[in-house]
Amino acid sequence: MSYAIETVNLTHYYSKGTVQQVAAINDVNLQIEKGELVGIIGHTGSGKSTLISHFNGLLKPDSGKVLVDGVDIWKDKETLRQSRFKVGLCFQYPEYQLFEETVYRDIAFGPKNMKLSEAEIKERVLRAAEFTGVKPEHLNKSPFDLSGGEKRRVAIAGVMSMEPQVLIFDEPAAGLDPKGRKDLVELIKNYRKQTGSTVIIVSHSMEDIAGMADRIVVMNNSSVAMQGSVDEVYSRGNELRSMGLNVPEITEIFAKLRAKGIDVPANVYTVEQGEKILRSLIERRSAR
Amino acid sequence: MSEKIIEFDNVTFIYDADDDESAVQAYPALTDVSLSINKGEFVAVLGHNGSGKSTFAKLCNAILEPTKGKVSVKGIVPDTEEKADEVRRIVGMVFQNPDNQIVATIVEDDVAFGPENLGIEPAEIRKRVDDALKCVNMYDFRHREPHKLSGGQKQRVAIAGVIAMQTECIVLDEPTAMLDPMGRDEVMQTIKRLNREMGITVVLVTHFMDEAVQADRVVVIDSGRMVMDGTPKEVFSQVEKLRSCGLDVPQSTEICHDLGIKECVLDVDECVDEIARLLGGAV
Amino acid sequence: MIRDITIGQYYPGKSVLHRLDPRMKLIITFWLIVVIFLCKSFFSLGLIALTAVVAAAISSVPPKMILKSLKPIVIILVFTAVLNILYTEGGDVYFERWGIAITEKGVNTAVFTMIRIVSLVVISSLLTYTTTPTMLTDALERILSPLKIFKIKVHTLAMMMTLALRFIPTLIEEIERIMNAQKARGADLESGGLVQRAKALVPIFIPLMVSSFRRAYELAFAMTCRCYTGGEGRTRMKQMKLGFRDFAALLFCVAVTVGVIVLNHFFEAVI
Repeated sequence: MSYAIETVNLTHYYSKGTVQQVAAINDVNLQIEKGELVGIIGHTGSGKSTLISHFNGLLKPDSGKVLVDGVDIWKDKETLRQSRFKVGLCFQYPEYQLFEETVYRDIAFGPKNMKLSEAEIKERVLRAAEFTGVKPEHLNKSPFDLSGGEKRRVAIAGVMSMEPQVLIFDEPAAGLDPKGRKDLVELIKNYRKQTGSTVIIVSHSMEDIAGMADRIVVMNNSSVAMQGSVDEVYSRGNELRSMGLNVPEITEIFAKLRAKGIDVPANVYTVEQGEKILRSLIERRSAR
Repeated sequence: MSEKIIEFDNVTFIYDADDDESAVQAYPALTDVSLSINKGEFVAVLGHNGSGKSTFAKLCNAILEPTKGKVSVKGIVPDTEEKADEVRRIVGMVFQNPDNQIVATIVEDDVAFGPENLGIEPAEIRKRVDDALKCVNMYDFRHREPHKLSGGQKQRVAIAGVIAMQTECIVLDEPTAMLDPMGRDEVMQTIKRLNREMGITVVLVTHFMDEAVQADRVVVIDSGRMVMDGTPKEVFSQVEKLRSCGLDVPQSTEICHDLGIKECVLDVDECVDEIARLLGGAV
Repeated sequence: MIRDITIGQYYPGKSVLHRLDPRMKLIITFWLIVVIFLCKSFFSLGLIALTAVVAAAISSVPPKMILKSLKPIVIILVFTAVLNILYTEGGDVYFERWGIAITEKGVNTAVFTMIRIVSLVVISSLLTYTTTPTMLTDALERILSPLKIFKIKVHTLAMMMTLALRFIPTLIEEIERIMNAQKARGADLESGGLVQRAKALVPIFIPLMVSSFRRAYELAFAMTCRCYTGGEGRTRMKQMKLGFRDFAALLFCVAVTVGVIVLNHFFEAVI
């Protein structure tokens, strides 16, 4: 079976052909399985945004290949066009892409570009609106009359309505408050559970990804520095910190407890998980 | 008693369509808020998006005028353009989006913009600009073009622009919301230094809990009302109440609270000590 | 990366030309352009061309960059040269066939015009190579400030120019971002006829307008907060002071002008 997305020696340069030529991403080999939820983390300038812009052909590799569903997306013009619909990309602050007169029409923009039938478009718009929690009474309103959080949902629905096999979010929680972040995490989890699509989340915040991703890819200095299960990556907290990434506070607490000689695991990344471990530890000690 | 710098007296603010083009109908953004901020304090104003905290910030330096009640800065009520200008010489402001507050094409020219508006002597401006840029660690970037800087760097230039005006108080409206972790850290370090070393009164409007715990005092706004006001420990010990406001507590505070530790902890080290004590006590 | 774009064509350096007062540079440039058009003989024009070459040599701007500034006008050069050769008659006839005559006067005029245009472009691009757009705007504001008595809002105009310079890179970045977002939703910006392409710009143009208005609104707030109330009562950190260097440059300019007039007088005019 082919991978949802595969990159083969993918390289891309900035200012190609000039003296300032630098690799934005250098020789990246990455496989993303179908149905996986992958978190890509890295600080600003690590190459993560350049990487995902290759997944749907917005950027052309300077060398190497991008395969979607086993097919090189740069094979011909039609394959490239189709890759845009197979791989949905939701950029940072997506609310700034809204432009239509009504919310409905904005969500329908992608499906319309796919040249689907009116009936199919309608079905998809309603489905996407439901996933993202866009209220039905808002569909005929102007998107510019909504609040910031509502606009974000509409914009996400505008990508979801293309029903891509792979959905990529670039910093989906940027600028949201704690409740907004939590709601968004739930939204993404739900979407994935119900559609079974592959989801990629790009972030510089580990806390958003912890407890959600199956696998984490860490980008640093234009290439993949680490990849593995959440446990594996989080247990290397010091390396992550040296790459300018911040580890969830709870992970740090557990690292410091270990340093004090208390026998706790190093790969704790949610408060619930931490609480459970500590409670059982307390119980065991008091039983002794 | 310490000197009051900003005073809110039963302030209500109602947005109407004139103030906010996205508002369909009038709605109250702040309702009956009274508080005073003392000279030299570092106050964090917490609230979720749409809670009214940004309105609070804009009332502080006369960008908005209260619908009811009174806002005064060192006793000055900004009811005329001249008085509003006086207030803005005392209270400076830094906004969320670093791109939309930098006016010049060269870093040092931007920092000079405020003092130039105040009509200060050229030699004195030069000195203030250099000092302000050194203070935010951006002196080496003084000849750069702002659009080539990172978000954190731009935000520090914006802060330098306020420092160079030598305001007594600086209000920052979600200055780190658009920054990455590194940029947030740079900006927070700078803000703390302003308060601790230069004695500038800081009002930090934010929804990041880890920023609020670094303040001397935390004010929580929910649906336009002030619901909490106290030291970080006093505020963050009320975990349930904060959650009901759509806010959170730092993870250190949360786990200690959930484990039943009475003491309210605010940072990782305190948390580690408390847990160690708990485990030690259980042996 | 797109954020590396630089507005204008400023070439950083420390040469005498860079350090001249921008006001003086602006005045001298205009002056020399006028003098170029006063030239009548090859000798007076040669003096100007020599001035341009000397200025370029001391500017520390690489000759390659100066040649690059001539590239856009190559077509104009060729075009005017051909027209002059074909349509100016007089003097010896070098070539005559198919109703076309190439004469001494025609060739002379063509060469003369070409040197004139090249000198003009070199001199004016030296101004932009050695002066940042911001300095130019500043200089313009100060030179034109006497116009205030005619109720012309010189400061406001200069401020608008500065803000435009400041926001062009930001808006270019924004356009790129919006284009990518719409392309990711399957927007086709490249194919189709003129009408279709114009229609395809709507999803780019509207978000750009919305965000520009938002930026303008926030910028106005930020400027108000920093006590901006217009040009009245403002001081400037960077004072422009005319120094010895500037007067020397002016003197040099006067000398060139006198030279041109004298040479015009003593040598045969080409046009």
